[in-house]
Amino acid sequence: MSNAEDNKSSHDQLSSQVFLDLVDSVIADVASECHRVARLGLDRDLEVVEEELRLSVEARAKVADPSNNLETNTKYVVDIFGQSHPPVATEVFNCMNCGRQIVAGRFAPHLERCMGKGRKARAKATRSTTASQNRNSRRNTSDNNQLASGPPGFEENVRKA
Amino acid sequence: MARSVKHSANRPPTPDEDVRDSPERDELTLGEIINIKLVESGEKENLMELVRDRLVESGWKDEMRIACREHVKKKGRKDVTVDELIRVITPKGRASVPDAIKEELLDRIHNFIRSAAL
Repeated sequence: MSNAEDNKSSHDQLSSQVFLDLVDSVIADVASECHRVARLGLDRDLEVVEEELRLSVEARAKVADPSNNLETNTKYVVDIFGQSHPPVATEVFNCMNCGRQIVAGRFAPHLERCMGKGRKARAKATRSTTASQNRNSRRNTSDNNQLASGPPGFEENVRKA
Repeated sequence: MARSVKHSANRPPTPDEDVRDSPERDELTLGEIINIKLVESGEKENLMELVRDRLVESGWKDEMRIACREHVKKKGRKDVTVDELIRVITPKGRASVPDAIKEELLDRIHNFIRSAAL
């Protein structure tokens, strides 16, 4: 019966060989695919990790570097994307109330004046002669501009600021 | 006129290395004969498709992809070669094939060999 046994074991060996051959093919496929993704930079997660590594190395170098002007650094903070922000926002846009061009960093004070001081911001409905007269009488300024209609007198507001 | 062997296919040399050009020589090993029969009958293709499907279903392929990504992360993605990746994942790949899949495949291959009357 040794013949049959020999046969069987050589069959087993052959089968294993074929099987391994198949598995190796699939492994080669996977490797090829991953290689392509890696080289083409298609793996966004990988990019993010690389970017973070790079930035952390940069940040560490900056901190370790004694020649950096610390004062400058505290004013212009660098965020995680590597962008620096000036202390006052510099973007200019149009105020939706009066339509003027306002620097973003000065927008809040402008709105105060533009829409009426703080809590006393007037609703649109009260934009009438009476209302502006009342406001005028309450504030003792030399200016007696009374705008009957249209946007609230921003000129007088500006002067008061 | 030798068929060029791609140097990037860094696989252990198959037995039919020198037989590829002239299959009508008498010194074919049994392994080579089986391989030829597998290919000619189309069974090799069926087996490949079966293996691929099973390995994908079982998540084996995903595990391999993760292993590749890990290696790429280490080495930096610009330096990796296909050979390197194959070399890195082959031992793990061969070892981590689920037993059920292995059994199924070996069974089919066995049957084929038997029916090829060798």
